[in-house]
Amino acid sequence: MTVNFRQLSIMTFMSFIALKFLALPSLLYTVSGDMSWLVALVLMIIDGIYAVIIVDLIKKNQKKNVYDFMKSILGPFFAKLILIVLLIKFAIVIANILKGLEFFVVENFYTELNWIVFIAPLIGVISFMIYKGVRNIARVFEMVFIAIIIGLIYIALKSFAGVDLLMFIPFFEFGVQPLFESAYVHLSWFGSASFLIMLFGCVDFKNAKKFNLIRYIFYAIGIVQLLYIVFYGLFDMTSPTHSFALSDVSQYYGGRVAVNELSWLVVSLWVVAQAIQCAMYGFCFVKAVMYIFNIKNSIVPILILDAYMLSWVIAGKNTIKLERFFFSDFASIITIISQYIIPLILLFGYLIKRSRQKRKHKVVKNEEIKVNI
Amino acid sequence: MKKLKSIFSPRKLIVWLFILVLMLTVPEITKPAMSQTEAIVTMLCVEKKDDKIDIATTVLTPSQDKKANYEVFTGEGKTLADAVSNVSLTIGKNMGFAQCEILALGENICDTGVMSTLDYLTRTKKVDRNATLVTFTGEAKDFAQVVSDVSDKKSLKLETIINYDQRYIIAQDSSIETFYKGYYSDISLGIIPKLEVKNEESPDAIEVQGQSSGTGSEAGQMPQTQSKKYLLNDGKTLAFKNGKKAVEIDVDTIKKVNLFLKDSKNGNVTVENVNDDLYSDASIVFSFVNKKLDTKSSFKNGVPKYDISFEAEFIIDEVIQENPTPEFLKRNKDFFTKEAVRRLKEQIKDDLEETIAYCVAHNVDLIDVYRTFHHKNYKEFEKYLKERKENYLDGIDYEISVKVTTAY
Repeated sequence: MTVNFRQLSIMTFMSFIALKFLALPSLLYTVSGDMSWLVALVLMIIDGIYAVIIVDLIKKNQKKNVYDFMKSILGPFFAKLILIVLLIKFAIVIANILKGLEFFVVENFYTELNWIVFIAPLIGVISFMIYKGVRNIARVFEMVFIAIIIGLIYIALKSFAGVDLLMFIPFFEFGVQPLFESAYVHLSWFGSASFLIMLFGCVDFKNAKKFNLIRYIFYAIGIVQLLYIVFYGLFDMTSPTHSFALSDVSQYYGGRVAVNELSWLVVSLWVVAQAIQCAMYGFCFVKAVMYIFNIKNSIVPILILDAYMLSWVIAGKNTIKLERFFFSDFASIITIISQYIIPLILLFGYLIKRSRQKRKHKVVKNEEIKVNI
Repeated sequence: MKKLKSIFSPRKLIVWLFILVLMLTVPEITKPAMSQTEAIVTMLCVEKKDDKIDIATTVLTPSQDKKANYEVFTGEGKTLADAVSNVSLTIGKNMGFAQCEILALGENICDTGVMSTLDYLTRTKKVDRNATLVTFTGEAKDFAQVVSDVSDKKSLKLETIINYDQRYIIAQDSSIETFYKGYYSDISLGIIPKLEVKNEESPDAIEVQGQSSGTGSEAGQMPQTQSKKYLLNDGKTLAFKNGKKAVEIDVDTIKKVNLFLKDSKNGNVTVENVNDDLYSDASIVFSFVNKKLDTKSSFKNGVPKYDISFEAEFIIDEVIQENPTPEFLKRNKDFFTKEAVRRLKEQIKDDLEETIAYCVAHNVDLIDVYRTFHHKNYKEFEKYLKERKENYLDGIDYEISVKVTTAY
């Protein structure tokens, strides 16, 4: 089952904006202050470059799935090792999304939420979507994509009048070092291109133009930056206390009594998109489990995923130490490896293999010519 | 595996899903409504009395007759959390602050510091950050009672007052969010409007009348006493530094401060004793309809310079002259005489200078001087602040230019 290139670009767009409007803006501000938008911009540009690299590799190896591809250049042992690292990365992202969803619902909708009542159907829907395949997930993204873009732009522009652009200058008020520190500490919220690695053999490149992918990445970066400028411009020093950025920006009305029902529609739609995002990373998780343990059928890996999501929701909430560990250094290191090192390993491995093949082909051809002569 | 697949086939899956939904939702549906266990607090008044926190809450009781019923419940405790807990004990419900739109702070709280009060309410997001802050004089229960003793139609009256204040008087919002932003800024400044509960009949007061909230007493009257209480808004505003009251600003000064604020688009200026061919000892009230204020900060030989350029379109609202001449009846008469315009410019310049002097004298930066210098001349301003952090307003050289045009 394959997705077309447009669907792939939309999935990339959604992955790029996925975790950016939860607690990330407030967390970034605690370390990098007024220059947090720059941290997000640079990391997203790096993610974009890696997305293009990975998609290029997928295009050149259309007939192979990710395990076959990695096995052919690194051997089965290292292929499985890389898949384990990617599995952990996907698990971290899923945990992040679930944490964000839980926080959003509890803070904004229903304080006395029975979390099992909320999560069980959600897990059911996610599992069903994964079972049906990546094309199903891509199609759902296609359906909500335009509404989400319009909604996000609407929320940003609605609150733009209250933005104090002066707060962004002077640039680098506290130097450059906080920016590097912030980038490292919050790395687990980025690495948005890593899911593409699992889509080897799942993409139909008919009528594909690389520029389209770059265009969607550009849209994602643009929308994130717009919302970040609005967020920091509205809240300034109090940014660290606004832990659900999209909701808080949409509800900001500068003290005047206003009813913003439409914002809630957008926020709710975005929450739906988060659930679909969870399904996408769940798909990657399931695929990784299937390749690691040589399982042909997806049902057992899906059940493993369900158990993980449920256990995270039940146990992860109440174990603050585990939560902190999961989301700090460990997560940053896993992101560095999965997002920034693994694609380069795959790229260089592929290039080395290709150059060897070319040399071999040249030698064989020369020998053939000699024989003919 | 085949057996598993047959159990979870699509048709049977729907049945499983239905069973799951029933199992999960029925217990939730049968739970009692939250309004039976949570009190909907629409306003919270907090005051400090004899080292105790005294609170009064206006609670909305939903009813079937479409009229909003507000009841006042009071409580006290060593801390705000204690006081809220005691009120909960009294009424047998948890206090739900999600609908609390107004947070009123008493005089004593303002004098001793408001941040601890705000901390309780915002740390665990009990109250929305967009809730409006006001200060009041008198007892918390009197204020809450006066506000709640209104009919359904007038229930927006306090909000109406506050909105008016925010648009036309202090020309900036006084929400918790804005106060926090001001407190945590480098100058730690906040502005909150002040309302008073008057204990006697006053022609300036807004008499609050309407149906009572179920106590059976006459509107606007306290059950225990015979005196009438009024809510008085005379435009006074409190400026806070480091979370404590620094100065009380009267409405005339606030209107002059508004000349500096970009959000303030409307206002008026009165010029007295205008004498020329048209006017004879006249007082003219000019209203500006479009205002543009540009400020420019710079440093000259280490001395900070703040240039203010004020530009506005004016109309004449009122001319107070003992014996108006027939010239006043002419429709095409240009009432903006040279003398009137000159005096207007002078008056505006005087008002702006007085505002600056007021800010310097009370050491409250109501006109965003710090912000402008900090963002536009960061390095030089930091050097300047090393010597004059506490009274930086005093050492700045202010230059004002005024341009006046007629709106018609």
